[in-house]
Amino acid sequence: MSEPLLELRDIEAGYGRAALVLRGLTVTVPAGQIVCLVGPNGAGKSTVLKVASGMLTPRSGTITVDGVDVTRNGPQQMLRAGMAHVLQGHSVFKEMTVAENVGLGAYTVRDQAAVAERTDFVKTLFPVVAERWHTLAGALSGGQQKQVEFARSLMVSPKVVLLDEPSMGLDPKTTATVFEQVVRMRDAGLAVLLVEQNARRALESADLGCVLDLGKVHIAGPAADLLADPRMAELYLGGAASRLEEGKAR
Amino acid sequence: MSSALLLQSLILGLLLGGLYALLAAGLTLYFGVMRVVMIAHSAFLILAAYLAWFFTTQTGLDPLLSLIITVPLFFAAGYGMQRALLSRLRPATLTMMSVLLTFAIALVIEGGLGYLFSGTQRRIQLGYSSASLELWGARIAVVKLVAFGLAAVSLLALYLLLKKTRFGQALRATIQHREAAQLLGIDTDRIAGFGFGLGLATAAVGGTALALDATIYPSLHWHWIGPLMAIIVIGGLGSIPGAAIAAMLLGVTQALLQIPMGTTWAQTVFYLALFATLMFRPQGFFGGRLAQRF
Ligand SMILES: Nc1ncnc2c1ncn2[C@@H]1O[C@H](COP(=O)(O)OP(=O)(O)OP(=O)(O)O)[C@@H](O)[C@H]1O
Ligand SMILES: [Mg+2]
Repeated sequence: MSEPLLELRDIEAGYGRAALVLRGLTVTVPAGQIVCLVGPNGAGKSTVLKVASGMLTPRSGTITVDGVDVTRNGPQQMLRAGMAHVLQGHSVFKEMTVAENVGLGAYTVRDQAAVAERTDFVKTLFPVVAERWHTLAGALSGGQQKQVEFARSLMVSPKVVLLDEPSMGLDPKTTATVFEQVVRMRDAGLAVLLVEQNARRALESADLGCVLDLGKVHIAGPAADLLADPRMAELYLGGAASRLEEGKAR
Repeated sequence: MSSALLLQSLILGLLLGGLYALLAAGLTLYFGVMRVVMIAHSAFLILAAYLAWFFTTQTGLDPLLSLIITVPLFFAAGYGMQRALLSRLRPATLTMMSVLLTFAIALVIEGGLGYLFSGTQRRIQLGYSSASLELWGARIAVVKLVAFGLAAVSLLALYLLLKKTRFGQALRATIQHREAAQLLGIDTDRIAGFGFGLGLATAAVGGTALALDATIYPSLHWHWIGPLMAIIVIGGLGSIPGAAIAAMLLGVTQALLQIPMGTTWAQTVFYLALFATLMFRPQGFFGGRLAQRF
């Protein structure tokens, strides 16, 4: 297995004075791989990504990127360290055009030549972005908005993209497109930490998987192994596998 | 009613509407950036008018020159006020508490003006104070044209700033989705402070424009805040173009109603329009479609 690019080790984190949400969580993301994080609602999946992008500072534990400690970094420094976070739900700037949205992705990039090159790159990766360049982002469909968010997050040439339930609310066909694009991001050399409810579909695209519940990782390993793991089937995947288990039990 | 009088009222309404539009733009910025209802906006307006009056009486120079001092001063004051006071309010109760806090600030400004300059009514005397132009029989005071020009230029500058500059892009992004803006490396706290400063700068310009042509006294701001609040609700909270359009329409209506009803009753048009909006279209007339568009 390759060196971890992003490592969250023994993370404890929570909101304000409320109880901890993450209780000693460890997740590693190797370069050029998709790591899929699954788990029930409220397990703390989004919280993991917020910790990784500096929106929430952990109470204890360490975060390293490429071996460098970035534990106490705020969002701006995390962005500079190579983290790009695409939020759960819709987060385009609705009253701005696709062009303005993508342009803001490069807010911290001063080199105009690099911005132009990067713009071409995301336009090829996400054709919708090029086709609807001058449209107000709020006027696009949910799936199209997701692609604008992807494009916007890639403008800084990140090392790791943190994707929070990108398929939420999308129809099966668009979901398939989104997963294809996640795979293409990996093929372009990025590491991806992917949170998904659509567990089976996500694990099929991923290299590694983790099952999160109550703020801890319960099962981790190659995505293919997780898909075959009977505990997984029982706990989170639902559908045919768990019914099969039931059948056996009877 | 003669057609010249009608034309005169129409033009005066448009000129007044321009000033309303600029001031309403400031209020819209506060609300858009931070969900803050800024009761003290018109108190700052009167403060700027006093500063312009004081500047002119002390130096004998044109009140427009006082803008060189008041605009940066108000910008800084707005930034400081946002960072030191408003950003400390709890998000859950921000809008409500901001009303109380800015109400208190308005009272402090009013009290301070009364203390420093007494309650006496003040008016700037200028070489061109009584000059007027004649247009198809309508007489338009030059000071009103200057005030409108000032408002129009400032609104245009505000538009270009928000639309074309890196800061403007960041401010609009912060208004539209704060977390996403933060994740793109935008320092949203600073930007919100600057947004607030920009709002207060509109009060500096507006106050100077007002001082050219109005008799001022410390409690005058209560006459302004009601109509301005009505304008931004009718315009659809958060929409600068919406506020500007509502400001123009209401300014003209007010001026036209002044002919048969007199100045005091003509003011009620704001409240009638507000009631009608809340009853039939509570999201405002330009909310949603135009909201936050620039
Ligand atoms: N901003 C917040 N303030 C306080 N508590 C929060 C906040 N965000 C999340 N929580 C709490 O943290 C816990 C984990 O939330 P999180 O959003 O990480 O779950 P999740 O696994 O992403 O769930 P979902 O699948 O529904 O998106 C929940 O109990 C939630 O109530
Ligand atoms: Mg979540």
